Amino acid sequence: MEPKPWPFPFRPKDGLSLSEALPDRSLFILVAMMSFLAALTLTGATGARTLSTRWAGGAAQLLTIQVSEPDQPLSGASKSDKTASQSRAEIVQADLATLPAGTQVHRLTQEELARLLTPWLGDAGKTALPLPAVIEVRLAEGHEAPADLEQTLNAHVPGTVVEHNAEWSSRLRALAESLMACAALALVTVGGIATMITALATRAGLSTRRDIIEILHGLGATDSYIAGRFASRTGGLALGGGLLGTLLAMAPLLLLFRMAAPFAASTLQAATPAMPDWRTLPDLLPGDMLAGLAALPCVAAFIGWTTTQIMVRIWLRRMP
Amino acid sequence: MIRLSNVSWRRERKASTPVLSNLSFSVPQGGFRWLLGPSGAGKTSLLSLLHVENLPSDGTLCLLDKDVTAHTPRAVLVRLRQRIGMVHQDFRLMPDLSVADNVALPLRLQHRPEDKITDEVHAILKWVGLGNQLNVRASRLSGGEQQRTAIARAIVHRPGLILADEPTNALEEPQAHKLLDMFSELSSMGTTVIVATHNEALVRRLPRPALTLERGRLVQDGA
Repeated sequence: MEPKPWPFPFRPKDGLSLSEALPDRSLFILVAMMSFLAALTLTGATGARTLSTRWAGGAAQLLTIQVSEPDQPLSGASKSDKTASQSRAEIVQADLATLPAGTQVHRLTQEELARLLTPWLGDAGKTALPLPAVIEVRLAEGHEAPADLEQTLNAHVPGTVVEHNAEWSSRLRALAESLMACAALALVTVGGIATMITALATRAGLSTRRDIIEILHGLGATDSYIAGRFASRTGGLALGGGLLGTLLAMAPLLLLFRMAAPFAASTLQAATPAMPDWRTLPDLLPGDMLAGLAALPCVAAFIGWTTTQIMVRIWLRRMP
Repeated sequence: MIRLSNVSWRRERKASTPVLSNLSFSVPQGGFRWLLGPSGAGKTSLLSLLHVENLPSDGTLCLLDKDVTAHTPRAVLVRLRQRIGMVHQDFRLMPDLSVADNVALPLRLQHRPEDKITDEVHAILKWVGLGNQLNVRASRLSGGEQQRTAIARAIVHRPGLILADEPTNALEEPQAHKLLDMFSELSSMGTTVIVATHNEALVRRLPRPALTLERGRLVQDGA
């Protein structure tokens, strides 16, 4: 019989048969699951950081002032008083005009107010409840509201409520930072588990190929060659598993981001209870989060490759 | 050139009885030595030591002008192994690889060009009578064919030292004689050859100096 052409150019010909020693399924699926978890954690951390940044940057400079019976004149004002012709809300707005230069004062329109209340009251425009005026005050960068602003306003217009968003923003920022720390810990844990899984798979592969490795070693194979062959296999499997896990995580991530989008607004005017359209969603996703997700399969491959290199080289040290 | 001076080897570092004790001999470049002795005398252990599969526990070993100790860098040991051809008693072939791929392994590990490898492998396999079995898996070969494949793999890269442990066990007499003639020719061309055997007829056919081991000690250095 005429022998077949030889050599076959695209087949590894060192007898290690790593596709049998390190089978695809277990390592691939486990890394996919780890990457899925890592993608969710990474997104949670990015979301918490985005919200923290917005609250710190935008919301901290905001004051929200509520004026009850806004369109009523101030009770007890004499006809000679210049405020007699003004409504309670107008008097408060006039007081706010004395705040430092650069301060923006905006009284929410009925439509803006109705939109904010819709999630809680339904069609707020038809409610019989008396609604207060809501005045949004955005202080200029580096300026703070006067400490006695609430007393001053109350002295002129009794019942005026001033909400300092800065207090809430610092608490929310602390919460977001805690969440980010937890996410970082979770990512380190996931990385640690991935490392252990790879190490165990490599050890199993080494023990099933012990004889073959000893032959290669005797023929003059370097540690780099043997470690490289194993590392290429685990690195490739981890890359594939990482890609699959990250892609599978995209569906719940997009859903979560769509749900979280209304909470990311930094001003009351920008806030909307409506969720963004699916088609516009990719534009809303933070760039650094997308970069992190894209890097996940590479990180998985790096962990797999490095762990295997170290494991195999340590194992080979038993032989001279 | 091989030189051993008071070389001992223990299987375990703390083992009290060494497998090989105080061996001292030398073989010049291009020398041929039979390695004789009863079973369990330490012939295979000595060949493993000379193949740098193990390192001496005591004494000094010099192989192909390189000192081999526990402190010798791994890269040096790897290069040494690449210059040694070893025929093991149990052949140690890669069962999943073809005959040709098995024989090509030492050349591939030394990154020789693939076209050169093809030529060398074809020539050596033709010489050992396996030229028409290039693509047969090693696991499907008979004992004699496996032995010839192992011999081809040991000499294909023109090593400076050939070590053979009972290389004619599975061969028929004409093939065994042909192999001996080849070892003798390689020796005369400058390759050092050490052949461990029980086959006295073979030793008689090719009279060369013998190293005789008994219980891990050298009892005769025929040099």
